[in-house]
This record gives sequence, structure tokens and C-alpha cells, in this order.
Amino acid sequence: MLDVRGLKKVYEGRQRQVEAVRDLTFTIESGDLVCLVGPSGCGKTTLLKCMSGLLAPTAGEVRLDGVPVTGPPPGMAVVFQEYGRSLFPWMNVRDNVELPLKQKKVAKAERRRLVDEALAAVGLADAHTAYPWQLSGGMQQRVAIARAVAYQPKVLLMDEPFAAVDAQTRADLEDLIRDLWRKLGVTVLFVTHDIDEAVYLGQKVIILSSSPTVVREQLTIDLPDERDQLHTRALPRFTELRGHVYEQIQAAKRGAGTVDEAVCAAEGADDKAVVGS
Amino acid sequence: MTGVVKRVGYAVGLPAVLFAAWWVSTANSDNFYVPPLRTILETFGQLWTLEKLQADVWPSLWRLAVGYAIACLVGVALGVLVGSSRTVRATLEPVLEFFRAVPPPVLVPVIMLFAGIDHTMKIVVIAVGSLWPVLLNTVEGVRAVDEVLSDTCRSYGLTGVARLRHLVLRAASPQIVAGMRQALSIAIILMVISEMTAASNGLGYTIVEAQRSFAIPEMWSGILLLGLLGFLLSMVFRFVENRALAWYHGLRRAQRGS
Repeated sequence: MLDVRGLKKVYEGRQRQVEAVRDLTFTIESGDLVCLVGPSGCGKTTLLKCMSGLLAPTAGEVRLDGVPVTGPPPGMAVVFQEYGRSLFPWMNVRDNVELPLKQKKVAKAERRRLVDEALAAVGLADAHTAYPWQLSGGMQQRVAIARAVAYQPKVLLMDEPFAAVDAQTRADLEDLIRDLWRKLGVTVLFVTHDIDEAVYLGQKVIILSSSPTVVREQLTIDLPDERDQLHTRALPRFTELRGHVYEQIQAAKRGAGTVDEAVCAAEGADDKAVVGS
Repeated sequence: MTGVVKRVGYAVGLPAVLFAAWWVSTANSDNFYVPPLRTILETFGQLWTLEKLQADVWPSLWRLAVGYAIACLVGVALGVLVGSSRTVRATLEPVLEFFRAVPPPVLVPVIMLFAGIDHTMKIVVIAVGSLWPVLLNTVEGVRAVDEVLSDTCRSYGLTGVARLRHLVLRAASPQIVAGMRQALSIAIILMVISEMTAASNGLGYTIVEAQRSFAIPEMWSGILLLGLLGFLLSMVFRFVENRALAWYHGLRRAQRGS
């Protein structure tokens, strides 16, 4: 369904090159819920941007249903970490969710139904006319999720969507994602740096190495499909899996720096060069 | 209720005091150039009849509106173009900064040379002079469009016109409006200046004519009217801005609150 083959991304700075992702190959089956976890700065965001067609890889390719991804493909929706910057502050909640559907030329009645359903599904049925900045962080991220759900994507990519919300909200949102996934049958790729979150959410967990990034392990999470915060997290198997992923990440961390900072520095230098000239 | 009274009080208080001070201090003035305010107000009533407003204020306002509209439209269009492309920006920015640095009034004689001395010249002067703040602010606004929002648009297939309409223009609108506000005051100044050089009607023309023929109360009443007009226009501007940028003010308040 979603194939990543020999993906490599090198950022060209002015003074140095930064290899964010070296050689990634993995496949996500249709209808799967896969969590991608790795040490911080291992190029998770870079990978996700390449997969969503927002960034062109240096080498290798991403295929969605056999078709190479060269730009953002129609059947894909992305939820970003920075909810505060991914919603249009000049539109109310309803318009935010509806805009991509208008662009997709969905008929009006159908649009109304999709928006209503999506907002109800994330528990925001009574917030249609609010503006995003009137909502709490968790609610804003719900709006972003509703927008993605209403879009009816085949694949939903999520880039550390809960990294910036508080712990309780986060637990609610995790259950929301499991719920939506089971109800909609959508394929989900969930990027996170949180090991517990990855194990709790995923049917599969892909563990990445430190930068330059390769796949370290693909792990099937053999926990029951019915999960809840209290009992699932108390299962001995959960603890085992969690421990295993933790060891892998620790092993991955040894002996490598982080990419993200270096990338930022390289890109920043590039920006300044243009502004200054 | 008391809130409203308070706000009206703040708004009217100082003008009332200044007005009273002017009235009292000039009440017994026998200085030819500083007539009593009473005389000015009497002249104001006699001079600015409906007919006179139609003959001299209407042409001024009409030229102001056309020139200002051109400045805004061209400024935003060019600004989007320049702001969207690094290459265009790098090429044009020094030139734009140069043109902005040229004081617009010196353009009056130059523009007169090829646009004559009729309406066209005055409209061109207003448009050319008030274009720069709109243009440069739009460039800044377009450049500062948030990267995450931009990625969001791309991933939902919002490109081309839809992107321009829903993302670029809206995101840049606070800066665009700031530019338009600066442009409005420049446009009013240029409206008057363009009428002082070569004109047969208009507010600026009336004031200069009155001054030249030593009709001092008439001159003062013209200046008073000009001030009132400028005040009124900026009130209208603020009203429209508060409507159009309600989201932005709300967002700013929310960000300060957290």
C-alpha cells in the first residue's frame, strides 16, 4: 500500500551537507496502524515530509498503491505537531474542516454531512463557530484531526501530533485515534518519540536508528485490539514490549548526534544568505 | 452603560478642551492672520455650502478614492508577486527601496510633464506616492506566511488561486492593512499637494486661493474641513479594519493571554 524504498535525504547547506535519512525501506499494509519511533532528531519529520510528498527525497522513492509520490497525493492527509500553526486562524472551526472538501469539489450537502460527522467524531459537535485560537491546544488538535478525517483519506500521516498537549488530553487523543482507526479502516502512520505512546497505539512499531537513519527493527504489537489506558498499560506484555523498544532506542542513541539541529543550522544559513543578498 | 459614557468622554474630552482653548484665546484677537474662532466658524458655514462641497470637495475626494484604490490594488498585486519569489525579490528590492525613499511631492512637476495638469496627473501623483507602503508591507506579509500552514495547504491540494485566496492574502492581511493605513495618510497629503500646484478646483486649491487673496478666515475654515475629513476617513478605515481583522486581534489577545 505505502512503500518506502531506499529513501535517502541529504540537506544541502552552504558549508556542509547533512544526511538526515540514509536508507529507509519498509512497507505499510492497507488498514494498518503503524507507529514510527526513534531517538529525537533521527529525521522522523524529514521522513514524514518525504512520504507526504512535501519534500523530494535525494534518492529512493515512496509509492502509494504502486504510484510514485512526487507531490502531495490526493488520498493522503497529514496532521502536524504544531496545531497552532496548521489551522487557519481567520476561519472558524467549521470552515477550517470544510475548506479541503471545497477544494476537492465535494457537493454541498455531502460536505455538510462530512464536516458534521467529523466534528462529532472528535467530540467538537458544539464548537463549529469558534475560532481555533479560542480553543485549548487539545481541542485545536482535535479540529486538525477532524479536518483530516472529513477529507476521507486512504492514508493518514501524523507527525508527533500530541507532543505539545498535556498528558491527560494526550491519553484522550490516543484513544480517539484508535477509535477513528477502527471505525474508518484508514491506514495510519503515527510518528512519535514517545515509546509508551507507540506501543499503546500501534499494531506495528517501526524503530528507527539515530541519524543517519535506517530502520532498526519492525515490531508487531501483539496486544489485544481492544485497548484502554488503564488495563492495556498494566499488561505484562505491554511492559515487555515497551522495555524492548526502550532498549532498542537506547542502543540506537549510543554514539550518534542529532540531525535536526544540524539541519536547522544548515537551512538557517541558507535562508540568511538569500535574505542578505 | 457607564463604560460607553467613559469611552465617549475619553474620545470627546481633549478635542473639546482644545476647541475651547482656541475659542477663548482668539476671542478678542485683532491679529489679521489669527482671526477669532467664531469668525472662522461663521465663515465655515457661509463658505462650505452644499454647492461648494460639490464643486470643490467632491472632486478632491473622488480623485483621492481613485488614486488610493489604484495604489492598493497595484501594491497588493505587485507585493504578492515580489513576496512569492526569492529571485524577483532579490532583483527588485533595492530599486523599490530607492523609489520609496523619493519624497512623493517632488514627483508632482515630473508627472505634470507627461500627464498634464488635469485629473489624471493628480490621480497618478496620489497613486504613485501612496503605492510604496502597501507594496512593501505586502511583500513582508507574503514572505512571512507560516511554513506549517503552507505545508498544510499543499497536502490538501490547495494550490494556485485557492492558495492565494485562502492562505497568502489572508495571512498577509494584517501587514497589508497596516500598509494601507500609512498609504491613506500619504494619499490625503498628496491630494492636497497635487491641487496646490496646478488646479482649478479642489480642497487644496481653495485653501491656497484663500491664502493668496488674504481671505484668512476662509483659509482657516478650509484647513479645519481638511482635518475633519482626514479624521472621518481614518475612522471609516478603523471601522473596516476592525471588521476585516477581527480574527487577528482575537488571535493576538489569545496569544498575550496564554
